Amino acid sequence: MEVLGERVNVLLEELMVHKITGLPLTNYGFFLLIAFTVTLVFFLIASRKVAMVPKGIGNVAEAGVEFVRDNIVMDVIGPEGKPYLPFILTVFFFVLFNNLIGLIPGFKPGTGTMGTTVAWAVMVFLVYNWIGISKHGAWGYLKSFYPKGVVAPLAVFVMLLELISHFIRPLTLSVRLFANMFAGHVILGIFGIFTVILFEASVAGKVMTLLPVAMQIIMYAFELFVAFIQAYVFAILTSVYISGAIHAGEH
Amino acid sequence: MEVILPKDMLLEVIVALVSFLVLFGVLGKFAFPSIIKMLDERSDKIRESLEKAEDTRIEAERMLEDYKTQMAEARQESAKVIEQGRKVAETMKAEIVAKAAEESAALLAKAREEIGAEKRAAMAELQASVADLSVAVAGKLIGSTLSVKDHEKLIEQFVAEVGSLNGN
Repeated sequence: MEVLGERVNVLLEELMVHKITGLPLTNYGFFLLIAFTVTLVFFLIASRKVAMVPKGIGNVAEAGVEFVRDNIVMDVIGPEGKPYLPFILTVFFFVLFNNLIGLIPGFKPGTGTMGTTVAWAVMVFLVYNWIGISKHGAWGYLKSFYPKGVVAPLAVFVMLLELISHFIRPLTLSVRLFANMFAGHVILGIFGIFTVILFEASVAGKVMTLLPVAMQIIMYAFELFVAFIQAYVFAILTSVYISGAIHAGEH
Repeated sequence: MEVILPKDMLLEVIVALVSFLVLFGVLGKFAFPSIIKMLDERSDKIRESLEKAEDTRIEAERMLEDYKTQMAEARQESAKVIEQGRKVAETMKAEIVAKAAEESAALLAKAREEIGAEKRAAMAELQASVADLSVAVAGKLIGSTLSVKDHEKLIEQFVAEVGSLNGN
């Protein structure tokens, strides 16, 4: 048990945010820049390979873009969401590539740290509120928080709750993504530790090693799924918030 | 707590924001528009092709209908022509047969007439020569003792006999 605790401490130490000496980057920031480069290069190449008859990398990029356009932007916002498509595409694919790159053994997801997720969640918060204000005017947008058909004292209370829920949004958005990515890596690490401990133990333990190895494979597949799901959730919530800002005061 | 809220959080925020903005700027200008444009173009093209195919199908059906009508008309026309030809041929055949019958009848009548005339002429000649001959024979037998009156009587009697023979 002591060995386990020691190793978990080492794992957490490894997963903690460190500043890389000599660079203005943390260890997560470093992998974020790798994901940044991969995303940039992937789409710049893919956008030059699109053809009327879809093929290869161009087809992959097209399928991704079409998915975000039809299943996220059009479904959630509708045709008014078209101007925000590039923004939501960037959100989805940058989060996705960060999540996926973190799954390469030895790599970390750029989204596995609160610094990144808070930055993007606050950015989303600012963007959708800016959209709301530019669509309805500052006063009109603020008024949309005041419920219609509710008696005055209660309405003020509801409005307060609405405002609070809006300010909680960036927090939930950032923590959800960070926690999923971080916890995924902790779980994979813990099963790795089990594997090593059992393998170093008795002969019976060596046979038992198969169990955490199998678990690790299953969890890895699950994390792959989570990588997509979290990118999808982040993008769809962004769309929901933007849609709410566009249609503010209609409900 | 240090794991969750890193001490270098500000640095990460800046890196995340700047890289996002650069990505948004570059991809939003150079990558996404061409991909979205291609998606739109393709769906337009597919829609156009489908519409065109539908138009072509309708046109083809219309043409087929036309051809069928024309075919039926042509068939009717040809049947009419054949029928007409047969009628003409039958008329001609009947005419030819009638004409031939008429001609052969005329020919027969003419031949019969000619034969009759020949026969009459031969008969007349024969009467004359029989008369002369009998006069000569009678003269020789009775030594020309017959008077002219007797001659005539004899001749008439003979001719009447020959005539009655002829009449038979």
